[in-house]
Amino acid sequence: MIVAERKPMNEILDMISGVNRLLVLGCRGCVAVCSAGGDKEVDVIASALRLGRKKAGQQIEIDTDTLVRQCDPEYLEPLKERGKQFDAVLSTACGVGVNFIADRCPGVRVLPALNTTFYGANMSSGEWIELCAGCGSCVLHLTGGLCPVARCAKRLSNGPCGGSVGGRCEIDPNVPCVWQRIHDKLVEQKQDKLLKDITPIRDWTTAGHGGPRRRIREDLLP
Amino acid sequence: MSDIILGFCCNYTSSVDEDTLKKAGLVPDGLRIKRLPCTGKLEINTLLDAFEQGAEAVFVAGCQVDKCHNLSGSQRAAKRVGYAKKILEELGIDPARLEMFFVSRGETEPIVEAARHMSGVLSDAESIHR
Ligand code: SF4
Ligand code: SF4
Repeated sequence: MIVAERKPMNEILDMISGVNRLLVLGCRGCVAVCSAGGDKEVDVIASALRLGRKKAGQQIEIDTDTLVRQCDPEYLEPLKERGKQFDAVLSTACGVGVNFIADRCPGVRVLPALNTTFYGANMSSGEWIELCAGCGSCVLHLTGGLCPVARCAKRLSNGPCGGSVGGRCEIDPNVPCVWQRIHDKLVEQKQDKLLKDITPIRDWTTAGHGGPRRRIREDLLP
Repeated sequence: MSDIILGFCCNYTSSVDEDTLKKAGLVPDGLRIKRLPCTGKLEINTLLDAFEQGAEAVFVAGCQVDKCHNLSGSQRAAKRVGYAKKILEELGIDPARLEMFFVSRGETEPIVEAARHMSGVLSDAESIHR
């Protein structure tokens, strides 16, 4: 899922300065699962902003709602008109939702309540880690299913940097060296011959270095 | 009128009536007690709303950690209090205005102490309500 976290309330308060009617708009997709922007977080953000405004001696009218997703056009349709009734819409979706509202709802001022951070998994209640960087050219079949792009601090493609100590990354000892883990996993699976193959220099255009990416599936186009 | 101090207590931690305590001069006049089936049900926004609706200080009195009637209700409440304190700080409000207390069941004294502690926090603080 896409993992995000709430911006500090003081930043959000600055962002909405001068706003008198605000819609805090949640999303029931990834950001609800990672406890950053679903129904519950919308209520907390709305309550905090009301309190912040009260403390500043300023009024604000806050409405709340949560969409099934903010990254599909059909769910955004009603917002095209409704959004205009507010001075701003504070979206608690990931950056995709905020961009999509900006693109598709002219006349609606949308603001981000979250910092969108990474593609990750839920380790345990309250903890998420990054596992994929969306590079557009997956090499997990060569690396025992462990990603050297998202999980190696140097994004190395051909083995470890040589700085790991006791299987921990030299950048942060709390993080395992993913290349050590790739090695161990490939040995365990008797696939370690893969480690001898040299991966050519990566073409990062698929990772977004060639500009915004787009995916087309002809058979699904209208 | 003295500052409003709102205490959220569960049915097990407080059976005392706030008016009796006030008449006895044991707690500040501004004390209000809200009784809940379990403090573990308290949501973060409820804590924030209490301030927005006029409280100057808020406390939660849940069962002692190993004696919670609902096993982990008071621990859950403590975590939410912790998160709400973080939000108060981000809003420039002294997080000491919100506190969690683990108290023995059915005793009045810990609630009185909690209310007095919160009253002390407010002693030279400015109002958050303009
Ligand atoms: S190689 Fe690329 S696509 Fe595959 S997991 Fe890593 S970042 Fe994601
Ligand atoms: S120690 Fe391992 S994970 Fe860390 S930068 Fe070096 S190769 Fe990458």
